[in-house]
Amino acid sequence: MQLLDIKNLTLEIPTASGSIKALDKVSLSLKKGEISALVGESGSGKSLIVRTIVGAIPDRWNITADRLTWKGQDLLGMSEHKRRRIIRDEVSVVFQNAVTALDPTATLGEQLLEAVPDRLLPKTMFWQRRQHRLALAQKQLHKVGIKDHELCMKAYPHQVADDVCQKLMLAMSLVSQPELLIADDPTMGMEITTKVQILRLLTKLNQTRNLSILYVSHDLLAIATMATNMTVLYCGQTVESGSMSELRHSPLHPYTKALLDSAPSFRKDLPRKTPLSSLPGTIPTLQHLPIGCRLGPRCPRAGKECVKAPKTHRLHNHFYNCHFPLLPETK
Amino acid sequence: MMTSYLLRRINLLLVTLFILTIASYALAYLFPGEALQNLSGQLNPNDTTYAALSEKYAMDAHPIFGFFTYLGHLLHGDWGTSINSGKPVLDEILSHLPATLELSTYALFMSLLIGIPVGFWAGIRFHRSVDYAVMTGSVVGFSIPVFWLALILIMLFSLNLGLLPMSGRISLLFDIPERSGFIVLDILLSDVPNKREALYNAFLHMILPTLSITIVTSAVVMRITRRSVADVIQSDYIKAAIARGLSRTQALWRHGVRNALLPIMPQIVMQFTVLLTNAMIVELIFSWPGIGNWLLQAIYQRDYPAISGGMLAVSAVVIFFTLTMDVLVRALNPLKRRDVHGTI
Repeated sequence: MQLLDIKNLTLEIPTASGSIKALDKVSLSLKKGEISALVGESGSGKSLIVRTIVGAIPDRWNITADRLTWKGQDLLGMSEHKRRRIIRDEVSVVFQNAVTALDPTATLGEQLLEAVPDRLLPKTMFWQRRQHRLALAQKQLHKVGIKDHELCMKAYPHQVADDVCQKLMLAMSLVSQPELLIADDPTMGMEITTKVQILRLLTKLNQTRNLSILYVSHDLLAIATMATNMTVLYCGQTVESGSMSELRHSPLHPYTKALLDSAPSFRKDLPRKTPLSSLPGTIPTLQHLPIGCRLGPRCPRAGKECVKAPKTHRLHNHFYNCHFPLLPETK
Repeated sequence: MMTSYLLRRINLLLVTLFILTIASYALAYLFPGEALQNLSGQLNPNDTTYAALSEKYAMDAHPIFGFFTYLGHLLHGDWGTSINSGKPVLDEILSHLPATLELSTYALFMSLLIGIPVGFWAGIRFHRSVDYAVMTGSVVGFSIPVFWLALILIMLFSLNLGLLPMSGRISLLFDIPERSGFIVLDILLSDVPNKREALYNAFLHMILPTLSITIVTSAVVMRITRRSVADVIQSDYIKAAIARGLSRTQALWRHGVRNALLPIMPQIVMQFTVLLTNAMIVELIFSWPGIGNWLLQAIYQRDYPAISGGMLAVSAVVIFFTLTMDVLVRALNPLKRRDVHGTI
């Protein structure tokens, strides 16, 4: 069963100079127990998708979608209260940039304790609840790799290192034992050893507790080892999605290919002193988005048709949005 | 950390007060007339008194010695005599200052009580009709000159409608013995027969002066709060809290209020200085027997010892209040604890 299913999600932001389609017909789906990667450059709308799913966007932003469902229930249609309950009990989010996502004037302990849901506490008298909360919180802190829990819980966010904030953010989202973890670049700026620990923890949780993970990042290397599926995003448009191995070995969309080529560690045959490949140009700003396929102006294979947005094509379990895909026979 | 900070603040307080006393001593020389007269407040003394005063203020020595002698007198509570009334300046100040402080306290309290919630409301509805309405009101509020506002209020409520008294602190029918100088406290401490009526009467007298100061200050408080709330609402931690399943109201109560109020506390404290100035103007209009009224009378009468003494007292109150609040803000705000070097 699909846990999370998004089909043709469009997010319009009204501005003084007309509305901007920050997300244009994005599709994404995630099965139970799956690790799915959402990949794209900074500014491609990854974080916006995350915020749309959990409903943390301003009211005046306009969302339209063919489907935005959680276990078959329509998230957009349901009442705010019900949606909040689902988000609270079943989905957890690790936000990008943990330092700003934590309340600067509350101690880390207070914030972690707030995240411990009542449903996990044993039915005891109310004065014993704090003890149970504390025990759960401490256990979670140890799991994410914070050894000195007392010192950490007493500290304010500005008093600890950035990666401790990130770990705490992770602890906060895992302590409620969610079914889906949406991790928005959880290892950003971490040391490589800590990063490996965190990724290992997530993989382990996925295997032992059947935790589904939507891993949002631009770090292809980290994702490639753990994710089963990948969705590639460019400028708020889904470019390609499919299983990780298929996408890696035979990308159909020119952008996916460029993205993979730009990560040198994926290419073992790279001779010395060859220039690293990259697409010409830069990612357009939200105010100056090209019409049709947004990759158009930068795409090496673009043609006349690209001024119209391509429909989603399907090749087995592999979806791509391109008029001129890198199909085997055209190679 | 906190003790060292406290010591620094106390040090700053002492240094500032010391400089103020220098200014006050210098005023005696800068005012027209004889310095000795301006210091002591004795008009046209005869030869023997003159000699005694001259020795008391060390007039023959170098002005630096003269200053330290003056400082010694100040510390002993001898602030000279008022030319106007012939009473010691310190006694005059102590009997007038509480009335001003009382009025300012009510006005500050009312401004916060009105300004902060309304500012919050506007901040939550940032750039929507409620916000625009509140901001319009606030611009009007702080653009009005306070003396004009006070006169309009008198005209409307006292003269036209006859609802509220137009001057003084309490009706002359009540005879309240002065103890603390705060009228409400004095009524409660006294054993006059009609305590309840006296309180009610004092309350009626309080409304108009407080209101005229409050309108101006609350307009400013409103703006400061609204800006801060609007910033906090857009912050990542509020979004994160909502994403964790808290409702907007819950997120705002648990993580917004404290974060919105802590950074603006110093700004609000700064408003106290403006408020005190306004209070002194309003006192004159409502014949409120406070230090502002008294100081203005002193200026009319060229009562130089009173002017310099009043200046010293009012500035000391402002500095003491600002520094106390500064320490309090630091004690409350965990973010402030990291920078050791404070600013005023």
